[in-house]
Amino acid sequence: MTIITLDGDLAIIKVTAARLDAAAGPAFKADIQAQLNGRAKRVLLDMGDVSFMDSTGLGVLVSLLKMLGKDGALAVAGAQPSVRRLFELTRLDTVFSLTNSVDSARAVLGD
Amino acid sequence: MTEPDIVEIPARLDAVAQLADHLNASCANAGVAPQAAIDLELALVEAANNIILHGYAGRSDGTIRLAVRQGHGVVELDLTDLGIPMEDGQMTMCRPFSLEAESGRGIQIIQSCIDVIDYHRNAGINCLSLKKFFDPSTPTGNPVPG
Repeated sequence: MTIITLDGDLAIIKVTAARLDAAAGPAFKADIQAQLNGRAKRVLLDMGDVSFMDSTGLGVLVSLLKMLGKDGALAVAGAQPSVRRLFELTRLDTVFSLTNSVDSARAVLGD
Repeated sequence: MTEPDIVEIPARLDAVAQLADHLNASCANAGVAPQAAIDLELALVEAANNIILHGYAGRSDGTIRLAVRQGHGVVELDLTDLGIPMEDGQMTMCRPFSLEAESGRGIQIIQSCIDVIDYHRNAGINCLSLKKFFDPSTPTGNPVPG
């Protein structure tokens, strides 16, 4: 479901699941928590392969952002139209940095 | 409107994608505007999740039936189930946005995506109807505002 690469305090999470929904959400959250385990302050979430996300998947991203704390940062790269629409509907596009590419997301995170 | 295009799934979260696939295929065949199709899928999945988690309270022995009807610039979804009834007004009450909540956004999303929402219960059957309008006359068929 995820491929996580650590580069200093930056974690690059490639989400490989096509649907980040209520069925996949709990395992996704457990996977991230286990692999990050407090080792990152900045997270780049590569969602280019995710064609659909529901509110459960979005809730996992919110929990991830909270986990990083006020000094942390999270950028989402490659959100497809349906995923981007969910961020917009919930106003969470004002909280999460949405970029079109991994390189842009790296720049947002100061890398 | 077309005759309903029907699919039924077991009330399990891992089966909800089948409803989405059915809806997406129907919308593609009917030439529904992409943005409208996105909104419909978002609303459908949230509604189905709610039926499973709350209507059936996590039971897996129930079913959810989806009927899709296509019209000129409109798509209608009817979701029926045999779970516990929804509270009066639950689907239409105003809900504040929360940027920090990790859950509880489902109904807000449905309200934002759908133009007409109707819920009724008859003879122990819940029926949630979701209607989405879109402009079919432009190449992109942008959703009708409002």
